Amino acid sequence: MRLTAIWKSGKVYIILLVGLVVLSVVGWRSMGQQSFVRTALSGLTLGALYFMVAAGLTIIFGLMDVLNFAHGAMFMIGAYAGWQFYTNPTFLFGLAPLVLALVAGMVVTPLIQPLAIRWTIPPHWRQRLRAALVVLAVVLAIVGLLGLDVRGLAKTAMVATMVDPLAEATPQEPLAAFWRRPVLFLLAGLLIALAQARPGDRTQVVRRGAAQRSIVALLGFALLTAAATLARESAAIAVLKMNADVRFFLSLAVGALIGAAIGGAIEISLVRPLYVRPTFLILATMGLSFVLRELTQLLWDPLPYAMSRPPLFSQPGKAASILEWFSTHTLTVEILGVTFPSYRLFIIALGLAMFVLLMIVMNYSRLGMTIRAGVQDRDMVEALGINVRRVFTLVFALGAGLAALGGIGAAPFAPVEPVMGDRFQMQGFITVVIGGMGSYSGAAIGALLLGLARAFGDFLALKFSLTPAVSEASTVIIMALVLLSRPAGLFGKKE
Amino acid sequence: MDTILQVENIHTFIGQFHILQDVSLSVERGSITVLLGRNGAGKTTTLKSILGLTPPSQGRVVFDGQDIRGRRAFEIAAMGIGYVPEHRAIFRDLTVAENLKIAERKRGDLDRKADFIFGLFPDLKRLYRLPGNHLSGGQQQMLAIARALVPDNKLLLIDEPSNGLAPVLIEQMMEAIRGLSATTTVLLVEQNFIMASQLAQAYYILDDGTTVHSGAMADLVKDKALIHRYLGAVAESVGGER
Repeated sequence: MRLTAIWKSGKVYIILLVGLVVLSVVGWRSMGQQSFVRTALSGLTLGALYFMVAAGLTIIFGLMDVLNFAHGAMFMIGAYAGWQFYTNPTFLFGLAPLVLALVAGMVVTPLIQPLAIRWTIPPHWRQRLRAALVVLAVVLAIVGLLGLDVRGLAKTAMVATMVDPLAEATPQEPLAAFWRRPVLFLLAGLLIALAQARPGDRTQVVRRGAAQRSIVALLGFALLTAAATLARESAAIAVLKMNADVRFFLSLAVGALIGAAIGGAIEISLVRPLYVRPTFLILATMGLSFVLRELTQLLWDPLPYAMSRPPLFSQPGKAASILEWFSTHTLTVEILGVTFPSYRLFIIALGLAMFVLLMIVMNYSRLGMTIRAGVQDRDMVEALGINVRRVFTLVFALGAGLAALGGIGAAPFAPVEPVMGDRFQMQGFITVVIGGMGSYSGAAIGALLLGLARAFGDFLALKFSLTPAVSEASTVIIMALVLLSRPAGLFGKKE
Repeated sequence: MDTILQVENIHTFIGQFHILQDVSLSVERGSITVLLGRNGAGKTTTLKSILGLTPPSQGRVVFDGQDIRGRRAFEIAAMGIGYVPEHRAIFRDLTVAENLKIAERKRGDLDRKADFIFGLFPDLKRLYRLPGNHLSGGQQQMLAIARALVPDNKLLLIDEPSNGLAPVLIEQMMEAIRGLSATTTVLLVEQNFIMASQLAQAYYILDDGTTVHSGAMADLVKDKALIHRYLGAVAESVGGER
């Protein structure tokens, strides 16, 4: 009786566990310890990256029913941002004042709204006015970029790998020529803010206290803009003079934050108006991923770059154990009789850490509680007085940040190139389908399965001199098998 | 008397369908008012329109002295309206404790209200750590009402609390709702006429998306012809038939 209860509640886990154990024993005996452990560790590395992509995808789908086809682009952006920050942050610091200025302008909506909604504008002109404002803002932003050598800024990291990075850190435009750019971006932001205020539309509710907060935000961002404008060169130099290990961990954070910020911006601008049209949403996010990929190609050429590993993972020699690595920081570590790159072990640890973090957030925070509730019934969450739209934006940003973090994590051992996101996005979708849409623990198990399948598939392909397509096909076969037995995925509840 | 909610001539579309075609009603503070009508008359949509879940395209909704039509649902709810949807829409993946906790609008809401809620529904205390999907239908209905009681709501919109409950549970539910009207105002949708007539002081009858009749419950109970005309067989049966 009790056994059947255990079987019922944990059937999926038991089958998976038994299957993995059986396969491991078979693999261990037939492949030999060395190749088995090495292949399994490679699989775990891949699985960790797949998880970081799939976790965001699955939560975004579960909560908002959005298949985000721009998720791989977030992975790629993370990789590029992290690579830039680590190798030569000139590009990032060169554009930061413009982005900050734009945001500074955009936060004034609550401040101007009480005035703007009182303007007398015939209803059919309101929409046209808003469109005109946005177009004007785009024109201002373009004018603000005219003559700025963005490609030159972007190229600094490409050469920096070879020569002394400091020598390449200073192609920033002189302040006398540059200052008008943030000003133009600020104006563009103000115009967007005005469009957001819906001039003439008196049904808008002006929220109490929002105006004060908006003033604080405006001042804060304006100050940041000024600081970023003045510190374009000195900040880049300071970052490059930093201890390389610190810089590496900073670049993880910077890449994840940039990914999250872009993710949030995408949700607000592109995704939000389209929630009612899911098909358009797929096209829109897919189109966006093309745009982002082409933009990257334009800036950095369609070449693969290698980000160097930080000194923490690249001292010559081999540590005899993981414990010893903590004092030697060698390139490789001996683990179960196999010599394995220490950086890849770090990726496995990073993936695990993200899983634990996500588990804590989902189970013990108010945000996680709201997400779990929203996956089931969005309207009811809203009816409790919770701003579900803001939760959507947060979740989108969170997922994008996680994917971006995966991207930077991958950068030191996978080529940084415009198409890198597409590969991981495809695997991410397969992971999500296997694990069940909306379930982050399903995504973890799916990622583990896929990573291992890829690694062992590659091993078999090599051994029997088959085409490497075998390992790619193996993931799809797993997906098909899972879907045949459980159409909603391993842990899925939604159909 | 003091009106807490005033709905004036609202029209609501869901997709292409003109569901509410001129609904007006008003609810007195501290009263229990019931919306009656056949299936599909627009009772649930009226509740959702008040809350902004299906925003009305015209008309006025005045809650506590402010025109709230056009505001987003979360803003309206945060002004002090609690919603208990039909079919006991609790969050099945959340525990009972989390179902209550998520309804907090200020930190500590649940701690302040816990004794009151457990006094009303003692079962919930015993089930506190269980996931929502382990609860029986009646327990889920209690949780759905309890959830609306966590913040200080001035108005509760309760949709068919007796639907699918056993008669003994209906009694318990009625006691609980009657108890609520001491501290808050209730707008109730109820198919079970016996229950509705014993609870409410005022009624509105909806038919085809329009308010066709209203008045004091005491008068309606006497008017058998009116009951039969708009409520038909539903009013003559005792609840729990579906």
